[in-house]
Amino acid sequence: MSERIIELKNVSKQFPSVLANDNISLHINKGEIYAIVGENGAGKSTLMKTMYGLHEPTSGEVYIKGEKIKSFSPSNSIKRGIGMVHQHFMLVPSFTIAENIVLGSEPRSKRIFSDKKKAVDIVKSLSRTYGLEVDPNAKIQDVSVGIQQRVEILKTLYKGADILILDEPTAVLTPQETEELFKVIKRLVNELDKTVIIITHKLNEVLTISDRVAVMRQGKLVDVVNTREVNEKILAELMVGREVLLEDIDKPEIKGEEVVRVKDLVVKDNRGFDALKGVSFHINKGEILGVAGIEGNGQSELTEALAGMRKIEVGHVFIKGIDATGFNPKKIRELGVAHIPEDRLVTGLSKVSSITDNILMGSQFKEEFCKNKLHLKRDKIRDYAKKLIKKFDVRTPSEDVKVGSLSGGNMQKVVIAREFSFNTEILLISQPTRGVDIGAIEFIHDQIIKKRNEGCAILLISAELDEIFRLSDRIITLYEGKVTGEFKNGEITKNEIGYYMTGNRKEQV
Amino acid sequence: MFKKAKDNVEYLISLFLSIFAALLIGALIMLLNGQNPIVGYKALVLGAFGSKYKIATTFAKTVPLILTGLATAISFMSGIFNIGGEGQLYLGAFAAAYIGFTFTNLPVFIAIILAIIASALIGGLYAYFPAVLRVKYEIDEVITTIMLNSVAILFTNYLVNYPFQAAQGKMGGTDMIAEAFKFPKLVKLSKLNTSIFYTAIIAIIIYYLIKKTPFGYNFRIVGENGVFAKYAGINTKRYMILAMVISGALCGIAGAFEVYGVHYRFLQNISKGYAFDGMLVALIVKNNPVGIILMSIFFAMLKTGSNSMEVATGIPSELILVIQSIIILFIAGENGFKKLFKEYRLKRGKLVK
Repeated sequence: MSERIIELKNVSKQFPSVLANDNISLHINKGEIYAIVGENGAGKSTLMKTMYGLHEPTSGEVYIKGEKIKSFSPSNSIKRGIGMVHQHFMLVPSFTIAENIVLGSEPRSKRIFSDKKKAVDIVKSLSRTYGLEVDPNAKIQDVSVGIQQRVEILKTLYKGADILILDEPTAVLTPQETEELFKVIKRLVNELDKTVIIITHKLNEVLTISDRVAVMRQGKLVDVVNTREVNEKILAELMVGREVLLEDIDKPEIKGEEVVRVKDLVVKDNRGFDALKGVSFHINKGEILGVAGIEGNGQSELTEALAGMRKIEVGHVFIKGIDATGFNPKKIRELGVAHIPEDRLVTGLSKVSSITDNILMGSQFKEEFCKNKLHLKRDKIRDYAKKLIKKFDVRTPSEDVKVGSLSGGNMQKVVIAREFSFNTEILLISQPTRGVDIGAIEFIHDQIIKKRNEGCAILLISAELDEIFRLSDRIITLYEGKVTGEFKNGEITKNEIGYYMTGNRKEQV
Repeated sequence: MFKKAKDNVEYLISLFLSIFAALLIGALIMLLNGQNPIVGYKALVLGAFGSKYKIATTFAKTVPLILTGLATAISFMSGIFNIGGEGQLYLGAFAAAYIGFTFTNLPVFIAIILAIIASALIGGLYAYFPAVLRVKYEIDEVITTIMLNSVAILFTNYLVNYPFQAAQGKMGGTDMIAEAFKFPKLVKLSKLNTSIFYTAIIAIIIYYLIKKTPFGYNFRIVGENGVFAKYAGINTKRYMILAMVISGALCGIAGAFEVYGVHYRFLQNISKGYAFDGMLVALIVKNNPVGIILMSIFFAMLKTGSNSMEVATGIPSELILVIQSIIILFIAGENGFKKLFKEYRLKRGKLVK
């Protein structure tokens, strides 16, 4: 157990403006599950890419199986037995599973033609050996994300990997699929003598699966601990560098009237297929309605339709009793709706503009900031921006900094600062903490709860089940454009809700 | 504050480096031709600023450059690309000339206002159609506006050679506008006329629009991130069309000024690619209105000076085109300069984290 299969000695990686890895020394033993955790931008990915040979460290040495690495390239790493499963899968959707697995090193018949039958046999035997059930003849586009991930793992095993690097492997999985994956990982390590490195920011998963945990913060290795000896709180504190209170949330009961009603909504996606197939729900004053679901089941289209950015084909949206079906974003906003979009860089910000100009958006014609609807009061605008930067804790040297140069969390705070400062009664919030570090998540959650307690009706869409469960008063599940369940928070467990998120009803629970 | 200032300073440094490098390469070419670059450049500067007349000539050349430069700026910053300035200029010039030689009995003041309005209207209208096609049907405005240039130029060619051919036999030109309508000259014999004052007023208005009003802010955001603008409730289509129309109107006015200030009639080749030069000017200074004025003066200097240079030293005036192109080339490589700055600062250890 104590053979050092990967060892890093004083590894640093300098990018033009960031020191991504600062003098990191660690070793990974053969046959262990090693987790690397850290906030966004802590340098996890850089470290992993160095191990996989995607880039060369600025200084320091890397040893794999006792051998010092001289030339860094993925193909060399694959030869040495390292396999990597990326967060975003690298599969060809229209190929079968077998074709995807053997892609690049296909079995040949007569040295020229790729032998499909042999490929299928190979995949079948791989499946049996590793206990990873797949149908070799199914096409990637027809199988679930969980299966796709299995295919990725099989791909690395086919290439002979005995060290597997998994980058955020559970980000796209349901709780059930996550459990399955963990079983597979345990089997690979315990029975088949593989080594697994797992990169994640979900601390509860780290605790269930790993043997040891390396914690990174701001490019430095803070600590390596035995998983048995720590808990979630200790890890979170190591990651953030201070105490984190993700537990206590004060949600007083508010009895409010209905503010939003959505009836039989049908909306098309960009390809022209129905993304929502008759969705109905309502939101009351002072209530957070969480929408749980695996990404791509109509969530994006739902928020866009409600915000007036996507055409409503059938059905109605009532806001404060007014039929707002077909309203444009301006009219929707005039009804008191604010919107945190799922992709802040595409929709929520102009990254080449200053923080000030991003905060001004939506207020540029207000008398407070604009004389006679013609002359912008730049001093007033600047003061306002400064005030919001302070209030929403945006970490920046100045309000003139371009938004694009801020970190993800601070960009998100700029969006939230702007949208939460409008006089709103309704909030559409989509993936509020995606790519945001723990410290900022805490802050953003507090702001959302504050809005709720002030009496806002809030629609919360998130791919993070933890977030849905932490904030919501009521939860609906969305699967393939339909609402598959509705629950009061507390009536259902995360595990149970997973079945609704995949379209399986209660009988299968 | 400092970040913004730093960006601007870096941009200015790379701009001056580009100009310097271009002049250096120009000097090299002169050397290779066996000419003395110091003599050449001296002749260039003296040719542009050496006398009252020469200064007047240089400044006269800035008028169409500034107007078409501003026209480019307002459309490009809004994310819609008006490459049709040349055509809009021709149509605007013709419309202005038509008023000038048809309604000769009008009071001067009214005639001139009418001519400017007519040129702006026709220029704006000619830009309106490709803008609507772009916004409603996603037909690429770059292509349509480029093609519409030819349509406008050839159409006005037809007009001046057939229906509106000059009475006194001159080919390729209309009749003269009424004597009283001609813009007074500011320096004797030069082409500098009062249109430079009108241009200054227009430049101030456009500057104010772009920099100080919520409309200018909206134009900019629509150009930077249209999805964001739409999400925030801005009618992006309307702003894009408006930007294009203002752009076309400015080009039309540039045409009117050529007629009323310089030629006193419409000529079939009234513009020597002014709109394209204006586009270069705007591109170099990244649509900054003040920058457009300064860069227009620089371009005008190169143009005026190069003729004198050719006469005085025998260095071909085409060399100036080479210099212009090299500046553009370097500016296009601005990111390269930025990287150099970054690495330099990195080496000096000024960038922490």
